Amino acid sequence: MTTTIDAPNGREGQLNSGNLSKLAIRLGAFAAFAGIVIYFAIAARGFTSPFNLTNIVEQSTILGLLAFGVTVVFIGTGTDVQRGGIDLSIAANAGLCAAVYAVLMRQGFGDAVSIVAAIATGMIIGLLNGLAVVTLRIIPLLATLAVMNIAAGLELVLTENTVIPVQSPLLQVIAFGRFLGISTLAWCFIVISVLLIWALQYSPLGLRLYAVGGHHEAARAAGIRTGRYVYAAYIFAGFMAGVTSILIVSRLSASTTGTGLMLLPILAAALLGTVFSRRFIPTIGGTLLAALFIGVLANGFQLLGISSYWVAGVQGVLILCVVAMTSFAKRD
Amino acid sequence: MTMQAETGRTRRFPINIETISNYVVIGAFCAMLVFFAAFAPGFLSGENLYNVISNRVVLLAIVALGMTIVIAAGGIDLSVGVSMDLSSMVFIMLIAAGLGGFVGVLGGLGAALCVGLLNAVLINKLKINPFLATLGVLFIGQSVQRLSTQGGVPIYLTRAEFAAPFNAIVRSSLLGIPTPMIVLALCLVAVYLAMHRSVFGRYVAALGVQADVARFSGIRVLFHMSMVFVACAVLAGISGILLSSTVRSYVPFAGDSFLLDAIGATFIGTAISSERRPSVVGTLLGVLLLAVMRNGLLLMGYNFFWQQVGIGVLVFVVLGLSFGLRKRAD
Repeated sequence: MTTTIDAPNGREGQLNSGNLSKLAIRLGAFAAFAGIVIYFAIAARGFTSPFNLTNIVEQSTILGLLAFGVTVVFIGTGTDVQRGGIDLSIAANAGLCAAVYAVLMRQGFGDAVSIVAAIATGMIIGLLNGLAVVTLRIIPLLATLAVMNIAAGLELVLTENTVIPVQSPLLQVIAFGRFLGISTLAWCFIVISVLLIWALQYSPLGLRLYAVGGHHEAARAAGIRTGRYVYAAYIFAGFMAGVTSILIVSRLSASTTGTGLMLLPILAAALLGTVFSRRFIPTIGGTLLAALFIGVLANGFQLLGISSYWVAGVQGVLILCVVAMTSFAKRD
Repeated sequence: MTMQAETGRTRRFPINIETISNYVVIGAFCAMLVFFAAFAPGFLSGENLYNVISNRVVLLAIVALGMTIVIAAGGIDLSVGVSMDLSSMVFIMLIAAGLGGFVGVLGGLGAALCVGLLNAVLINKLKINPFLATLGVLFIGQSVQRLSTQGGVPIYLTRAEFAAPFNAIVRSSLLGIPTPMIVLALCLVAVYLAMHRSVFGRYVAALGVQADVARFSGIRVLFHMSMVFVACAVLAGISGILLSSTVRSYVPFAGDSFLLDAIGATFIGTAISSERRPSVVGTLLGVLLLAVMRNGLLLMGYNFFWQQVGIGVLVFVVLGLSFGLRKRAD
C-alpha cells in the first residue's frame, strides 16, 4: 500500500499499461475462441446456419454435462490434480448408469423406475468416492481410479460387453422432440447450465463450496463443515453421470460400451474451462465455453472436410496453445 | 480427539496404529498370495509364475517406474501410452524396412525421447500444468499414430524373416535369466539409485514436496523437471520395445491400457512409506499386487469383467485400511 503512494507518477503509468497487457492476455482465450469461430464462419460453408449451431450445442451436451460434474469436484477440492480432488470415475459411472437404465427397461420396468434407479446408481458411486476421499482419506486420484474400475467392471458384468437397444416414448421425446426450434437435448444443456451457474456462482452454497476448495483449513476455521461439501461435490458428480446417462441412451437409442473412453475429453474440458475465467479457477461458465470450444472444433473440422485422423492432434495443439497463452498471464 | 492424540503420543510401545498402517499393503499382498495358492488351481506352478512376471509385471513395472519419478516430483504423465506406442511403432517400422534390431531399438528410444522432450518444453518453458500438457501430447500422439497407420491398422511382422531381432530381445537369456527380466532389473537398479541414493533424487523429492522452497533453495528446477519427464518417456519407450518384440507387431493405442495401471501402482506404492511418498519398492509392490490379483482371479475362473471389479474393490479396501488407520493416528 505505502509503496504505491510513494511511487512516482511514471511508475504508476507503467503499472497501468502492465495491467492492460495482462488484461489482453487474460482475454486471450476468449479471443482465440472468437477467432476460431470467425474463421469457421468464413471458411466452412453452413457453419453459421441455425441447424448447425444447434447441432454443435447438441454434440457438446454430453461432454459438457459430465464436465460440469468434474468442475463441481474441482471447485470443492481445488485443481491441483495430484493433491487436490479429481473424479476419474465419472465417465465409467455414466456408462454404468446407462447400463442399469437399459437393463431395467429391457426387463419391463417403466421409464420412471429405470431413471430413478440409474440416477441412484450414479449417486451411490459418487457416495463411494466421497467415502474414499473424505472418510478414508485416500488420495483422490487413486480413490476415484479404484471406483472407476469398480464401475467399469460392473457395467461389463451387467451388459456382458454388448449393445443393449432401448426404446421408449420418453427417449423419443429427448432424442427428437423440439421446443421453440431447439431440440430437447440442447434445452437440457441450457437449463442445467443456467441452474448450475446460479447455484455455484451466485448463491451462498456456491460461495461456501469455493471456500472449501480454495483453502480447506480456512473454510473449516470459518465454521464450514468441509467434509460434507466434498461429499456433496462427489455425489453431485455422480448425479450428473446418472442424468447424462439417460441422454446418452436416448441419443444412441441404446446403452453401448466405451462410455469410459470419454474420461480424458471430459477432464480436458473441465481443466480447459479454467482458462475461460478471469482468475483461472474452475467455473461452470468456463467449462460451458470449453465444452462448446471442443464441440466447435470437431464440427468445424468436419465441415471443412479435414480427415478425422487430424482432429485429435489439432485439438490437442489448440488446447495447448490456449493454455500456454494464459499460463503467461497467470505467472504475473 | 485431542485426548486420543495425546494418548497416542505418550504410548511407549514402538508399534502403534500408524506403524501398522504402513504394512497393510504388504500384509494384503501376502494374504492374497496365500489365498490364491490355496484356492486358485495352478497358481504356484513355476510356469504360471513365470508367465505372470514375463507378461504382466515386466512391461507394467518399467512404465510404472517412470511414473514413480514423475509423481515423486509432483507432476503426472498422461502420455506414457504415447511414448510406448510411438517407440513401438518406430521400432517395428525400422525393422520392417530391413534396418535391423539395433537401429530399431535406437529409433524407438529416440521417438520416446522426443515425446519426453516435448513434455519437458511444454511444462517448463510454456508453464503448462503437467496434467493438461501431457493430455495435449496424448491427443497429438493419437493423431500421429492414426496418420502413420491409415487410421489405426496394426503392423504384423510374424514372418520368419523378421524373427531374428525379436528373438534376440525376448527369447535370449543371460546366465539363464531371460533378457526382459534383466532389462527390468537394470531399470529398477538405475531408478532406485537415481531416486533414493543420489542428489538428483533428493532434488526430485524437494520439487515434489515443496516446489517453491526448492526454487528458492537454488535447485535448478527447470533442468530437473525436464529430466524427470524425459526419463519417464524413455522408460515407457523401453517397455514399448519389449511389448512389440513379444507380440512381434505394433498395435496402435496398445500403450493406453498401461496408463491407469501405472498411476494406480505408483499410488498403491505410496501406502508403504510413512510419509506417503512414491518409492521404487512401493511401486514394484503395487505392480505385483495388480498382476497377481488379475492372474489369480483368472485362474479361479472369473472373466475380465469381474477382474476389473475385483481390482477396484481390492485397491479400495486395502488403501481404505491403510489411509484410514493413518488418519486415526494423527
